[in-house]
Amino acid sequence: MATPYSQARRFGRLAVPVLTASALALALAACGGGSQQTADTGGGTAEKVTLSVALFGDFGFKPLYEEYRKTHPDVEIVERVTQFNDHHNNLVKRLATNAGAADVEAVEVGYISSFTSQPDKFHDLKQYGLDKRQGDYLDWKWQQGLSKNGSRLLGLGTDVGGLAMCYRKDLFEKAGLPTDREKVAELWPTWEQYIDTGKKFAANVKDAKFVDSPGEIFRAIVNQAPVGLYDAQDQIVVATNPEVKKAWDLSNQLSLNGLSAKLAAFSPPWNTGFAKGSFATIICPAWMTGYIQEQAKDAAGKWDIAKVPGGSGNSGGSHLLLPKQGKHPEEAAELIDFLTSKDNQARVFKEEGTFPSIPALYDDPSIQSFTKPFFGDAPIGKIYSDAARTLKPQHLGPKEGDVRVAVGDGLGRVEQGKQTPDEAWAQVVADVEKIK
Amino acid sequence: MATLPAAVPGRRRRLVRHALDLKLSPYAYVAPFFLLFCAFGVFPLIFTAWVSLHEWTLTSDTHTFIGVENFGTLLGDGYFWNATFNTFSIGVLSTAPQLVLAIWLAHLLNRPLRAQTFFRITLLVPNVTSVVAVVVIFSQLFGRDYGLINWMLSWFGIEGVAWAEGTATSHVAISVMIMWRWTGYNALIFLAAMQAVPRELYEAATIDGASNLTQLKKITIPMIRPTIIFVVTVSTIGAMQILAEPLLFGAGSGAGGITSGGPDRQFQTLALYVYDLGFTKFDFGYASAASWVMFLFVVVAAGVNYLLTRRLGGAFK
Amino acid sequence: MRRRLTHLTLLAVAFFSVFPLYYSVVVASRHNSALAEVPPPLLPGGNFLANVQRVFDTVPFALALLNSFLVAGSIAIAVMFFSTLAGFAFAKLSFRGRNILLLITVATMMVPAQLGIIPLYMLMAKIEWTGSMYALVVPALVNAFGVFFMTQYLSRALPTELLEAGRVDGATTWGLFWHVVLPAARPAAAVLGMLTFMSAWNDYFWPLVVLTPENPTVQVALSTLASGYVNDYVLGLSGTAVGTLPLILVFVLLGKQIIGGIMQGAVKG
Repeated sequence: MATPYSQARRFGRLAVPVLTASALALALAACGGGSQQTADTGGGTAEKVTLSVALFGDFGFKPLYEEYRKTHPDVEIVERVTQFNDHHNNLVKRLATNAGAADVEAVEVGYISSFTSQPDKFHDLKQYGLDKRQGDYLDWKWQQGLSKNGSRLLGLGTDVGGLAMCYRKDLFEKAGLPTDREKVAELWPTWEQYIDTGKKFAANVKDAKFVDSPGEIFRAIVNQAPVGLYDAQDQIVVATNPEVKKAWDLSNQLSLNGLSAKLAAFSPPWNTGFAKGSFATIICPAWMTGYIQEQAKDAAGKWDIAKVPGGSGNSGGSHLLLPKQGKHPEEAAELIDFLTSKDNQARVFKEEGTFPSIPALYDDPSIQSFTKPFFGDAPIGKIYSDAARTLKPQHLGPKEGDVRVAVGDGLGRVEQGKQTPDEAWAQVVADVEKIK
Repeated sequence: MATLPAAVPGRRRRLVRHALDLKLSPYAYVAPFFLLFCAFGVFPLIFTAWVSLHEWTLTSDTHTFIGVENFGTLLGDGYFWNATFNTFSIGVLSTAPQLVLAIWLAHLLNRPLRAQTFFRITLLVPNVTSVVAVVVIFSQLFGRDYGLINWMLSWFGIEGVAWAEGTATSHVAISVMIMWRWTGYNALIFLAAMQAVPRELYEAATIDGASNLTQLKKITIPMIRPTIIFVVTVSTIGAMQILAEPLLFGAGSGAGGITSGGPDRQFQTLALYVYDLGFTKFDFGYASAASWVMFLFVVVAAGVNYLLTRRLGGAFK
Repeated sequence: MRRRLTHLTLLAVAFFSVFPLYYSVVVASRHNSALAEVPPPLLPGGNFLANVQRVFDTVPFALALLNSFLVAGSIAIAVMFFSTLAGFAFAKLSFRGRNILLLITVATMMVPAQLGIIPLYMLMAKIEWTGSMYALVVPALVNAFGVFFMTQYLSRALPTELLEAGRVDGATTWGLFWHVVLPAARPAAAVLGMLTFMSAWNDYFWPLVVLTPENPTVQVALSTLASGYVNDYVLGLSGTAVGTLPLILVFVLLGKQIIGGIMQGAVKG
């Protein structure tokens, strides 16, 4: 007689394959977790090495990897790109937990000193003979890659962000302003005159704004000063440095006069703004030209480049560092040497726009005479060489990035009409005090 | 059968084993849950409390005991209270209409209809969509200059709403994302409960001439009260922990201030504030204190809502 | 008339439920400049495959799909099994402390997930699980919701007589679980498994904190796409489509069973 139980038993058999499958899946998941390590070491004809390169934007390295593979068939290169702030925060986290850092990590100049102050987390590049490169570099760029006491070489520079101002010729024409780059430069020897030009622009053009947003302008003005957010003793001087306050006031003038398109840099609407021509000028460290070209593909020939108001300064630029957790420091060091070599910096500049940190190139005829059709054949080689040569380097502190975010939020509050500049400033000062 | 009647000496042993089986096996069956929960639920809870009593950052190896100082700082921290306000505001804006809508949808579906399965499946589609996708899409829809929603609003003469900039508008935008994701899911849970309500009740009510709405109020809602209480409690807990939406909205909307929820922290929720403290400032001690207070808020909010819905449900009886 | 109104309302709701996803496919099938068009484009363009190709070129998306599949699959199966086990004990076995333990289980649902993130992260760093799928799977093997869900279902749907008959036949508790409870629990367990699979697949925050972009899940890969190369929306949405469509497909194919299961097994308080 079939009891309910015995009947149920028959169904129960089904449970066995289900559970076996589950055990299998668990085991597979475990493999999935470990597969990365096996991929690194296992298989292949020769011992194949995979190097990961962590960046925070397009560095224009892709063609260089291709070339590197030709001479190093055993090396596979994987690039990972993360958003700017996330990239640097992740690196802090991964260094602290000793897991997850890439073999080669890019660090922007705003964050470099927070990493050079923990030299035990990185390899000394001198071990791999890279101190031979010292002669190539701008001295200040070289210094930024050294540990605090100067004894160890932690990072090699990629690019420098000499300043210029990019502008839309068609919009300038519409506003009745000159469009020739020399004439445009004459409009704004100072930032005050830049703002006045903006007012004239706004009086005549209604469907576009003068500037994308004040955030990057602030950074540029501060960077033109001899002392910026930090003094030489690594003390934050935001509240006391008159240059910072001056930059703050000037940047807010843009918001208060309705000259800003209110598009935070590197956000999706900002990208769209490029495509639509929502703003007429944007501060243009050399690396910015690459972004413009990428985002405003349809606007070839409409953009041009003029001298920046207020004299020369540096905004941005990066170093490549070698975290100690990497398994292939030797190969990675060689890759760093390759990616930052003189020839490759020149090549990346021509293709991508990031400007070399190797002064010998500034007099190189191929750089000097380099123009780009996208920017109306502007002599960008000459413009950025001049900008880089006259640069006065500024001391940058360990929490430069955090301070910048605090000030940027303050500018945003004024821009969005949430606070008066004074209220916003008081809050910025209080926020900055909390940064440890 | 599996077991044959055994010989007499074996019998005692079997009885003992049987008694043990009855007594102990239930504990063995619930043990995996409690063991894993202790390891990954209770331990972090206690450890967070421990960390919150220290000055503890990711980058430093020294952890100084400072007692309740972090909690003291927290009580005077304007950003913390701002985040608390935002959390409750977004919580109410997203949860209340969502539940009303879900009950109403379930009510609509709780009758013979063509294409039942089709409607039910479409209701669950938003819930299958990942939160990254939801926010990327909605940030685009809520775009200031070229968003679809502003485009449609412009037909009515409303131009260029900067959704991410305003406190109220950003809360609305984020609440819409949350509602979109969860309304259908909750509607199905309500529908399941509604289908257990005896048909005769409705038939009798129809004979008595009760309107559709009256039937919903007088029969359906009281009958599915336990489910409502459950859904309200779970939704409250979920709403208190909103993180991905404001985080991704900050990145996608171009308003600036990504981890701070806008430059004026206009849409920074508690969870996002904790994330900001813990994973961008790496101030684990302070972040732990904040998350413990947040935990207390969750318990209070869930408790209050539990009591409220019990009351409300009672009122319909 | 009424019925037509109901249908229209439901059709509108269906439209709003599906539209954002549809719109993401529209954008994903075009070029970035389409985002700036007024009025916005409403029909798919022809670039979808090219954009999907870019997704696979930019991030290790195949690996991400595999990882997500294994992680979500393991979690779903484990949750189904352990929840049924505990649900059986809570619903049908009597033991001292049962009610209080069940109450504790329900109460644990209140602990915010983020509360544990920081210590959990430190723990994973200590045992060197950061970057590994273990860090996702192991803490998620059980959850209170599942236990509660299965307890609810089994207490209603599993006839006590069946268990008693089994006892009379001399079955042990384990035997009962294996041969009676598991088969009886299948409809609800399938729903629980599906819901768990979906939420594990879509889990965003913890994977983002603990994994690296080289060995990502789908969500981590998506966030890399959405935030990496200058916020390339089209790229992000193409990834979204590829990462969501498998789920939608499964869902549409099995929709009837899943919905039926939810109807049967859903919480009835």
